[in-house]
Amino acid sequence: MNRLFVLRFRIWMVLAWLAIQQNGHAQTHNGTQLVKASLVSDVSSVRAGSVFRIGVRYQIEPGWHIYWKNPGDAGISTKITWRLPEGFTAGNLQWPAPMIEKEPGELQVFSYSNEVLLFAEVHAPEKLPAGPLNFGANSNWLVCERICVPGKADMSLELPSGNGESSLTASLFESFEKKVPFRLPKEIHLSYSRVGKDLQIHFPAQLAGSQFLPLPPEDVVIGHVVSHPGYFSVPIESEQKPMLGLDGILISGTGTGQQAYEIAAASVESTGQSLDAGPINWSGFSQALFFALIGGLILNVMPCVLPVISLKVFGFVKDSGRQNAFRLSLAFASGIMVCFAVLAVLVILIRAAGVQVGWGFQFQDSRFVLFIACLVFAFALNMFGVYEISVSPRSTGKLASLAKGRGVGGAFFQGVFATVLATPCTAPFLGTASAFAFAQPSWITFTIFIFIGLGMSLPYLLLALNPAWVRFLPKPGSWMLYLKQGMGFLLLATLLWLVWVLGQMKGVNSVVLLGALLLVIAILAWIKGSFWTPISSSRSRIAAVVAMLAVLGFSAAIYSFLTKPTQLAWRPFSEERLDLALASGHPVFIDFTADWCITCKTNERFAIDTAEVRQAFEKNGVVILKADWTNGDPAITDLLKQHGRAGVPMYLVYPGGGGQDPVLLPELITSQTVLDALNRSRQSLAEIKS
Amino acid sequence: MIKRSILACCALAIGIQMVSADVEVGKPAPNFSLQDTHGKRVNLADFKGKFVVLEWYQPDCPFVGKQYKSGNMQKLQKQYTAKGVAWLSIDSSAPGEEGNYPSEELNQISAKDGAGRTALLLDPDGKVGRLYGAKTTPDMYIIDPKGVVIYQGAIDSKRSTDLADVNSATNFVRIALDEAESGRPVTTTTTRPYGCSVKYAGND
Repeated sequence: MNRLFVLRFRIWMVLAWLAIQQNGHAQTHNGTQLVKASLVSDVSSVRAGSVFRIGVRYQIEPGWHIYWKNPGDAGISTKITWRLPEGFTAGNLQWPAPMIEKEPGELQVFSYSNEVLLFAEVHAPEKLPAGPLNFGANSNWLVCERICVPGKADMSLELPSGNGESSLTASLFESFEKKVPFRLPKEIHLSYSRVGKDLQIHFPAQLAGSQFLPLPPEDVVIGHVVSHPGYFSVPIESEQKPMLGLDGILISGTGTGQQAYEIAAASVESTGQSLDAGPINWSGFSQALFFALIGGLILNVMPCVLPVISLKVFGFVKDSGRQNAFRLSLAFASGIMVCFAVLAVLVILIRAAGVQVGWGFQFQDSRFVLFIACLVFAFALNMFGVYEISVSPRSTGKLASLAKGRGVGGAFFQGVFATVLATPCTAPFLGTASAFAFAQPSWITFTIFIFIGLGMSLPYLLLALNPAWVRFLPKPGSWMLYLKQGMGFLLLATLLWLVWVLGQMKGVNSVVLLGALLLVIAILAWIKGSFWTPISSSRSRIAAVVAMLAVLGFSAAIYSFLTKPTQLAWRPFSEERLDLALASGHPVFIDFTADWCITCKTNERFAIDTAEVRQAFEKNGVVILKADWTNGDPAITDLLKQHGRAGVPMYLVYPGGGGQDPVLLPELITSQTVLDALNRSRQSLAEIKS
Repeated sequence: MIKRSILACCALAIGIQMVSADVEVGKPAPNFSLQDTHGKRVNLADFKGKFVVLEWYQPDCPFVGKQYKSGNMQKLQKQYTAKGVAWLSIDSSAPGEEGNYPSEELNQISAKDGAGRTALLLDPDGKVGRLYGAKTTPDMYIIDPKGVVIYQGAIDSKRSTDLADVNSATNFVRIALDEAESGRPVTTTTTRPYGCSVKYAGND
């Protein structure tokens, strides 16, 4: 009875195993095998006591991907369990660096496409068992395109005992071994710090442009890694979660020059402050205030402030005279202090609102960088003398008092400007102090910010206390003109740095946008300088205003035309996607287009992306695909040829319901053309159905 | 000049406000209004005073399949809706993407599964999905009667598609609901969700 049960159980197990086997090897989707998994080794025979490698080679259908050990926002990591002959031991699974793939909805996954080899080192015992050696691997994975299909395979590999000669697949191991992260060279130093919710990973300049792929512990939820110049920041699930380090891999370079490094948190120093909201640590507090003061003082000689300092020193020189210098230095200092006070209040408000803020946060926003870049450029043009900021001669009656007001106001504003520009230079030095501030009650945060401002304005306060030192200032002369122009170049150098920051953040498009903005500013400044001077006639002034408005209007029109976001849910074209949509009975509209095709853009803007067409698309459940021919995709070229076209634009409307040929639209279309085509295809569909 | 300095400070403030805040445990759950599969408008605010479970759902995802084929999700839905919990499943699949079905078909699937949810909501433009930062199916959120998020993350601890894992896994949603209903603080409030990506429409 018992034996019979065991026997039946065994048969059942075998059947179940066979079923799994079948399932594993026959993982297909619409008739294609998505992942072909096979067990391979870099040797064709095993030598006693040797170290060799075995691995699972995954050959993946184009367009699909399987996942890294941290899958990212979705998906699941690929898993392998080895079965080794007696006496053999396997090392850790080696994971080549994956790709970062973006999916709609700001999702980000770490994956492998086309082919990958996951492998491990195997140590053979000094005495090999008799007979052939059987190695086995059991693997589970999830393979996704837009849809996901789980797969598994049980594989085996038989190797004889021998001299350990290389096998045919040895080169495969070599090529994937290069992609496995190396240990970080000793001379490269990273450091962590914790700023509120964010963990920051600071890296040296030689790693600029690299990417960080995190490997967080099981019980910690983190957000997407954001790259900044000099550091990565990773939002941790909450400010309270104690986390002062994070494992991961760093990928630097691209293509064949790509190199991945392993980052182990344990071996990296952490300068992060503990965020326990315990009793106030007074010695820590006074230390932080001291650092804040010194940090603020140092801000004056930071490279990204220096040009602005030159600018304000120039301002003082220009308006020399004791009383003025006294007033100006006070105004300048108060500009700095007020700005730091405002900053402190803002930080406190934001903190209260629970939004994450880090030191240097202003420059995290590309629009802010854009704004500062434009301001710096406009200042530079002023320095070069393209235009002058002048007072209208009509207000000469009040000129005396106004000039005073302007000078003080100017110094005040320069204080503000210098402060705003200083923020990104604070990273290492103020890091400790501001991290401390962020983790503290509001009044401490406020005090720390005030001390930073105090430090920065210290030289000017001294000047205010003892205005006599103003006599050390150089005498005005014609050298000032050259100095002024020279400073313009310094400002341009600052601009170069801002362009780099923006490029790092937003890529080449934003840099071109900035270039365009600067061009517009240059034209506006030139118009102002040429046609609106204190000696210009009122007719010339009116012309200047009209010209400026025209330039603004024209550039705004071009901008909105080029960047108007489409309100249609375009999806990139693929034959599979088309088949899928048609199979589900949806009508399909395909737009064959390219970035350089003006006709295409015009059609999209004025004929396709219009309210009535959008409505019609929505009502009929039309799937809209964009076939982008910008880089001359051969599959798209074939389709164009099939319909007798040599290039883009081309528009196809599939009626849906399956089986019918698409309607080909002319190259120049209106909204009506599209609507008619939709109606026609609907009618023909109705006829077929009836 | 003073005006310009004020302007600069304003720009600074705007710069700061650009940093976005996702839905987070301990914060109020943003309200939304969606059509359910019976054509009814459902507002999150309608359920104030009740515990609400949000379940990101997509019938063709194997991770969702694991929960429904094993009967686990339906069991949870029935057990907690019987206690007065509102269970809202949300399908954020874009038109043409996997899991985007007409209402009738979704109702048939629900009937076949024996689902016990309060409503199945349609979010084809992914607005609510993106609002909540839903990443996977399933992705679970629990909102307390005051409208505050008290749990977000995975349905359970075994990150697989294997039906057998459902029983041996720690079900975070069950634990969080039981703790919250008995007035205790939720011990595990945030976990990493796992599953298929939510099938949002591409933005290109």
